[in-house]
Amino acid sequence: MTLVILALVWLMGIAAVRLAMPAPFRWSLQNGLVLSAGAGVGIGIAASLYFVVLALAGPNLIVLASVEAAALVVLVPLAWFVKPRPTELVIAPGPATPGYLTALFLAAAAIATISFLVAYQTKPHGEWDAWSIWNLRARFLFRAGELWKDAFSSQIPWSHPDYPLLVPAIVAMCWTLARGETTTAPGIVAFLFTFAAAGTLIATIGILRGKTQSFLAGILVLGSASFILIGSDQYADIPLSFYILASLAVLCLEDRYPGDLRFSILAGITAGLAAWTKNEGQLFVLALIAARFLALFLYTDRSGVARRLLSLAAGLVPPLAVVVFFKLRFAPPNDLMSTPPRQIMAHLLDFGRWITVLEGILIALLRVGGFLIPIVLFLALYWYLVRFKVEPSDRVSIATVVLAVGLMLVGDFAVYILFPNDVAWQVNTSVERLLLQVWPAALLVFFLAANIPQLVAAPQHHEKGKAKRSRK
Amino acid sequence: MARHKFAVIALAVIALGSGFWQLLDLVGAFNRGVDFGVPAFETRFEQFRPTIKPHSIFGYTSDNPPNDPSYLSEYYLTQYTLAPAIVKPDTNEELVVMNFHSERPDQAAMRAMNLVPVQTYGHGVMLCRHASR
Repeated sequence: MTLVILALVWLMGIAAVRLAMPAPFRWSLQNGLVLSAGAGVGIGIAASLYFVVLALAGPNLIVLASVEAAALVVLVPLAWFVKPRPTELVIAPGPATPGYLTALFLAAAAIATISFLVAYQTKPHGEWDAWSIWNLRARFLFRAGELWKDAFSSQIPWSHPDYPLLVPAIVAMCWTLARGETTTAPGIVAFLFTFAAAGTLIATIGILRGKTQSFLAGILVLGSASFILIGSDQYADIPLSFYILASLAVLCLEDRYPGDLRFSILAGITAGLAAWTKNEGQLFVLALIAARFLALFLYTDRSGVARRLLSLAAGLVPPLAVVVFFKLRFAPPNDLMSTPPRQIMAHLLDFGRWITVLEGILIALLRVGGFLIPIVLFLALYWYLVRFKVEPSDRVSIATVVLAVGLMLVGDFAVYILFPNDVAWQVNTSVERLLLQVWPAALLVFFLAANIPQLVAAPQHHEKGKAKRSRK
Repeated sequence: MARHKFAVIALAVIALGSGFWQLLDLVGAFNRGVDFGVPAFETRFEQFRPTIKPHSIFGYTSDNPPNDPSYLSEYYLTQYTLAPAIVKPDTNEELVVMNFHSERPDQAAMRAMNLVPVQTYGHGVMLCRHASR
């Protein structure tokens, strides 16, 4: 039953994303992107509807099933009959991709899938944060019936009752509709987010930079041991990384195919869903708006800046309305944000905190992705060997991603400096996951900017060589 | 082209090696089996859970040393298992969940905390009443 429910949720997401980028009904990279992004968007829509129904009508199975079904019944026909885009998003032309790269990509995908499944089998309830925060809240929402607001009780502040509800809500929704608690629901949700992030990255890079780059990005994200592990641990950082990536990827597509404001609206929706996933997602929304404004202002003719930003805002409104409703009506104050101003000032002037945070971030940078060697150092070597080649048409995209990720990291840094009392503990327990939140987006911008490697000798060289020999 | 080939193959080898290394770890952990964690806690509390009334609030105590990491993790697992009851990490509530690792809890420790047994649920799980409340 859980499988059927989540398949319908996925279908709803596919329909929603297809409205933004409709393509003919056949296998294509564009439809691959719709499938990947649809998983996260569907989960976001279904979780939002679940919470709104719960808040307005209480734990009523019939109302919930009717509302979710109505959303599906409206979206699917709309998506079915929508006119395909005049320009299909196809794989970008580039040098030939050798067979061994395809084989390595398939091997990475297989290893990541098996790793996820084995990790899930070992810990079907997930790891520490899953059962102390996300699945705990889902249990409150599902088990407490009319007393579901106990989920936000300030009596258990360590469970962060102010955290947004996207992940607990989708799990509780599955349990409610299936009329029973299983570990399958959070497990499949975690699987969908982890591999939807990989799929969205691969498809976007494929459209923007070609097959070779997309396989390389895919190998790297699927080979990120900690990304797959944290995904299977059912932490909300991977869903957040999906929404961050999806927002930025869709904006990059808009820059390549300007004039279609549906991309901006979709980016707004996914950014809003990031805010509905974790508090860091709210920081991302601010970072994205600032980054987009700056990038459009600096690298476009500025004529369409207002229109594009307004479209982004239009997409942001529905999910942010749910977040605001939750925060104003149900969530207790955030523990970090409740720090008194005098203490914040003392934290700011404490030089030791700056060192602790900087040291923590530098160490985490060397560990990001959980590779056998520090991947950032190897990526620096990769850059030296392959070099960057930024096309003028990609400048606004690259600026948007770099600024959004950069501003988000600056914001995270500021939160570490200003708020927690035990900054060393806070850094040690969260900084690697904060970097994972932006890891797929960082890979997106790296492979957008990196030169496409020449792995197969160009055929025309052989032809020229043959011609020279025949002349001799 | 050789530089490019080296960069790409090295990148792929690092990524695949890291993924495969982790897979070996995970398979090892899977083969060793799980003797601690949520399933073990669900079993410990399986007789207690059906008795919980809506909107219940319990205190919590354990024979783990309070500064031991297992104290906190077992407390969180207890809250996860007993949700939607609220379990607070102290003994100041009227009803207190005792999570002990022996069938016969330390009576002297219980007296010191003013706790009187109400019901025993096996596996070292006991519900107590705070005598001064």
